[in-house]
Amino acid sequence: MIKAVVFTVITVLFFYIIWINNIFAPHERYEMPAQHAKIAEDVKSYAKEGKQLFEQNCQACHSVRYDAVYISSVQANPKLQTLQEKYGKVLPRDVYESVFYEDLMALKESFGKIPPDLSTMYLVKGKEYLYNFILEPQKVLPGTSMPAVMTGRPEETAKVVAYLKSVSEPSPEEKNKRVLMGVGTIAYLIVMGILLWVWRGRILKRMGLH
Amino acid sequence: MLGRIGKWIDERAHLSELWQSQMVDYKVPKNLTFPYAFGVMAIVAFAIQIISGIFLTMYYQPNVHTAFDSANYTIMKEVPFMWLIRHVHAAGANFFLAIVYLHIFTGIYYNAYKKPRELTWIVGWVIYFVLLVTALTGYLLPWGQLSYWGMVVTAEIPTSIDSAPIIGSLKIGETISIWMKGGYEIGQITLGRFFGLHIWLLPLILLLLVSVHLYLVRAAGISNPEGREIDKKKEGVPFHPYMTLKEGAYMMGYLAVFFFFVFFYMHHFLPPDNYDPADPFKTPAHIAPEWYLLAYYTIFRSIPDKFLGFVAFNLTLVFLLILPFLDFSPLKSARNRPLFFIMFLVFVVSSMALTILGTMPPTPTNAMLGLIFTAGLFAFFLSLPIISIVEWGWYKARGGEKQ
Repeated sequence: MIKAVVFTVITVLFFYIIWINNIFAPHERYEMPAQHAKIAEDVKSYAKEGKQLFEQNCQACHSVRYDAVYISSVQANPKLQTLQEKYGKVLPRDVYESVFYEDLMALKESFGKIPPDLSTMYLVKGKEYLYNFILEPQKVLPGTSMPAVMTGRPEETAKVVAYLKSVSEPSPEEKNKRVLMGVGTIAYLIVMGILLWVWRGRILKRMGLH
Repeated sequence: MLGRIGKWIDERAHLSELWQSQMVDYKVPKNLTFPYAFGVMAIVAFAIQIISGIFLTMYYQPNVHTAFDSANYTIMKEVPFMWLIRHVHAAGANFFLAIVYLHIFTGIYYNAYKKPRELTWIVGWVIYFVLLVTALTGYLLPWGQLSYWGMVVTAEIPTSIDSAPIIGSLKIGETISIWMKGGYEIGQITLGRFFGLHIWLLPLILLLLVSVHLYLVRAAGISNPEGREIDKKKEGVPFHPYMTLKEGAYMMGYLAVFFFFVFFYMHHFLPPDNYDPADPFKTPAHIAPEWYLLAYYTIFRSIPDKFLGFVAFNLTLVFLLILPFLDFSPLKSARNRPLFFIMFLVFVVSSMALTILGTMPPTPTNAMLGLIFTAGLFAFFLSLPIISIVEWGWYKARGGEKQ
């Protein structure tokens, strides 16, 4: 009995460390004021505004392909619409990069590298990092070629982050649906497990095996 | 009507006889403990991987330009419910390996590898090895930063053979490395062959091996926590319904935990860094293999000499393979073997510590700790022959077979 408890505890502890919260591995943490974190979280109210801010401040260099938002020079190019009619709103990456090669190379010439597409950036970096980085790029990543566009506008930065979140993550309604699905699935499995156990007890009693 | 169709089929296929002989008349020991359910859980985990994998293949594109978008846009956003399938496949892979590890440790604890079950153990080891390769090939497919750089590091490991004294000049390691990648760098050819291996060849091999493993379990009988062979006619209980319902209930619990992760905690199974498209010009800060390879990785990393490190972590695999022959004691199950039990604890703690050390930065202290736990791991394997000799003495002193 003691052995069973010890083995269970160390196994659960091991998987907790490896899968959920690795207290031994290095973590980078970035702080974010609470009122701005709230804005960045609230996709429903701020994503639209964030998208407008993105178009004004970021779109000159950055695309968000999963939202069919391309860099400004591409957006102005009549070829884009023809391609979108053929391939759908979200162009395949190879098509996009080869047709608009010159636009991307022009950016590379001025910044040293092609500014990354931001479709999944929220998932990679998280809101705290993005907020701090967009606000003061040199402070977070010294030597970066990203210009300080949003410096001194923390609230608007948070709204841009909310927009990026809305592109990367499922919408709040979709999230609620998924939570409901998850709870339903887990509840079903637990109830079935208990029913099986009870049923087994009865069968075994009848068979005299209990 | 349905009953008559069933009867018509049964008269020709004799399915109910098969069921009766294989499930009901098949007797198992009554005292099987909870860890014996890991075997069935592994089969279910395998089935989940195959089913979810079939659906993923329909939308995934094995092309360096579109692989990332097909995984993260088409599958995650465009096609309804494919996000669920991908979550299930990604979490399922980790759960499958976790269950297989638990199954292996259970087998070691109850000495399930001993006569007459050596072959079951060896086939199980091959399954484990093929499974690691399957996991490794599948990890490259999303074509994110972690996929790409994880593979860069993995493909580098065989080159450590080349730093060996004499055979090093043959450049075997480099040849293996190039053969793995299909060229000098990881690109379209690598992705294509990994895709083919991951969706066709390796699962088929696994399917075959799992069938052989199951057949051998039936042929040699299930081991017993008490470490003695039972008289099946007198003591056994019918596999169905005694075992099936018990393991079915455990299964539901396992699936409940599994779906908790699928719906609410994918942070580890779809890590943030892998949402960054693969970029050969940008090395990420922390590159480490997935958790199921970390123990080997730490052994490799802690030993200062590259070639010795390579030998050491392969030796761990070889020791696991020849475990039935390292441990030739007449006694079975850690319940009856206090010395073995202590060494088993050393083994468990060392392998867990090595895995956790693999997630930590490679500082001198960690390398030292890595060496200590590597020693612990090897101490387990190397102590087995000694323990066996001691236990033969006890066995003879107590009167051997007559006991």
